[in-house]
Amino acid sequence: MARVDVKSVVTGSVWKIEARVGQKLAPGDSIMILESMKMEIPLIVEDGGVLLEIRVEEGVAVSEGQVLAVVEE
Amino acid sequence: MSAVPDKSVEETGWAPELEELRLRREKSLGLGGKDAIDLHHSRGRLTIRERIEGLVDQGSFQEVGRLTGSGKYESGKLVSVTPAPYVMGLCNIGGRPVAVGGEDFTIRGGTSWSGDRKKGGQGGFVEDLAHQYRIPLVNLIDGAGGSVTSITRRGHSVFPGVHGFEQSVRLMGEVPVVCAVMGTAAGGPAGRAILSHFSVMVKGTSQVFAAGPPVVERSLGQKIDKEDLGGAAVAGELAGTIDQVVDTEAECFGLVRRYLSYMPQNVWELPPLARINDPVDRCEDGLATIVPRNRRRPYDMRRIVRWVADRDSVLELQPSFGKAVITSLARMNGRVVGIIANNPMVYGGAIDVKGARKQTHFIELCDCFHIPLVFLVDVPGFMVGRDAEAAATLREGMRSVYVALQATVPMYTVVVRKCYGMAGMGATDKNGLDLKIAWPSAEWGSLPIEGGVAAAFRKEIAAAANPKAREAEIEASLRADASPMRTAEAFGVEEIIDPRETRPYLCRFIDAAQSRLATSVGQKPKYGVRP
Repeated sequence: MARVDVKSVVTGSVWKIEARVGQKLAPGDSIMILESMKMEIPLIVEDGGVLLEIRVEEGVAVSEGQVLAVVEE
Repeated sequence: MSAVPDKSVEETGWAPELEELRLRREKSLGLGGKDAIDLHHSRGRLTIRERIEGLVDQGSFQEVGRLTGSGKYESGKLVSVTPAPYVMGLCNIGGRPVAVGGEDFTIRGGTSWSGDRKKGGQGGFVEDLAHQYRIPLVNLIDGAGGSVTSITRRGHSVFPGVHGFEQSVRLMGEVPVVCAVMGTAAGGPAGRAILSHFSVMVKGTSQVFAAGPPVVERSLGQKIDKEDLGGAAVAGELAGTIDQVVDTEAECFGLVRRYLSYMPQNVWELPPLARINDPVDRCEDGLATIVPRNRRRPYDMRRIVRWVADRDSVLELQPSFGKAVITSLARMNGRVVGIIANNPMVYGGAIDVKGARKQTHFIELCDCFHIPLVFLVDVPGFMVGRDAEAAATLREGMRSVYVALQATVPMYTVVVRKCYGMAGMGATDKNGLDLKIAWPSAEWGSLPIEGGVAAAFRKEIAAAANPKAREAEIEASLRADASPMRTAEAFGVEEIIDPRETRPYLCRFIDAAQSRLATSVGQKPKYGVRP
């Protein structure tokens, strides 16, 4: 069991949060959708796991490399 | 004493010398001794001899310079030898000859050694071997470079460039050069790592920097450990100083071997053909539906790359740096190609400063080794905004356009979705056939309609009763006129294809370009000034 930080690959804003804390996510599932450069960019968990934390709210600005969520693999 | 040896000496023959040779070779295999090797192993690192063994075709290493080092003599008789801290020679990788060498960290931390001729590092026999025989060079770097103690040893300080980079630089236009940073590299060895077509480092055990923590603390008062200064997170992911990061040394050797499998031996040859049982006319159905109709939705461009290229042939380079651009070596009908694909998951595929730098390097690499380029285009343009301007995205972006316009290798443009502006132009073969094929999802122009409408119709939008609605109306009308089919009608793009036909269509043209490629091998001249 390892805690993994899920980081934003883009600077933009949080458009929609799709997953709940405690939810079990499969590899490739999206935690939230970010908006950047007029595109909807999903924040994806590569290896899946349980969502432990969501560190942002809808509408806030985020920067590249910022930890937006934590997953336990 | 007679000059002629007596009978008993004659009977002994050369046995004493052969025994001495055996002893010297044995000492050289012993590297820095058991304690130094154990310490090196305890840090999770292999010795230089283990590294070479792990990298090369089994049993293919022919060492050169096994006797180098410093001998200790008593009454003129050899009692021990400290080997030179560099091991090198000729080996085979994938059945082809390669020059290989690396520092031996177990002897004085792999610092330079003063023999009559250098063995490796910048300059040295191993680079001469690659240059003279036109074979690839692999450097396994694990050394700290020069030491101030050499002033005491020599009695003077050495002018920079006595062991210069001139041969290292020459090799960049002649043969594939791969550098693997296997330990902590500072100074000369760190510089040597950068003068390569491809560089790798190992997470946790490799660090690379111009100068290490003691120099940083003395110069800037900054206390920082070597991992934070030049570990994989900085040198690999943040800065792109090193191209690729791997988890273990074994993985590193596999990656170097794989990289070389796409490369010709030198620029006077073409890359090796490797046909596998993957039909040229394989048409993946997924290609027809992967691009969402909703223009705001991204998709997985890497799947497109995998579906179009020969099965299991894709090697993505620099995957953790400049993520807006995906650069991969791959094969199509067995022939090596370079694929540059925009990644809509990162800034909608907009070219940022890192992506541009990555693209520039990859175009130069493919042009140098006669590897045709395929662009899978979904680019809204260069990255915009204050941060992007401050980072000189425009300059770095134009640099990638410049190298694309200077490259002479055949290029193929496949417009998957967006192809806008200067970044879009930089993905075409303007000096060549300029073959541009597009999917029905393609759209292009000098700038995207949504941004352009607000600027070009500002007065009309402001004067409307409902400005938002008027803007949307104008956008919709322009978008209808911007159908890719209409451009194809005017032969402004050469073909609109069913996305499933991408692989067969590209393979036909890549196969047809082989005569062109075979008759244009050799070094690529460089002129002009890069912006």
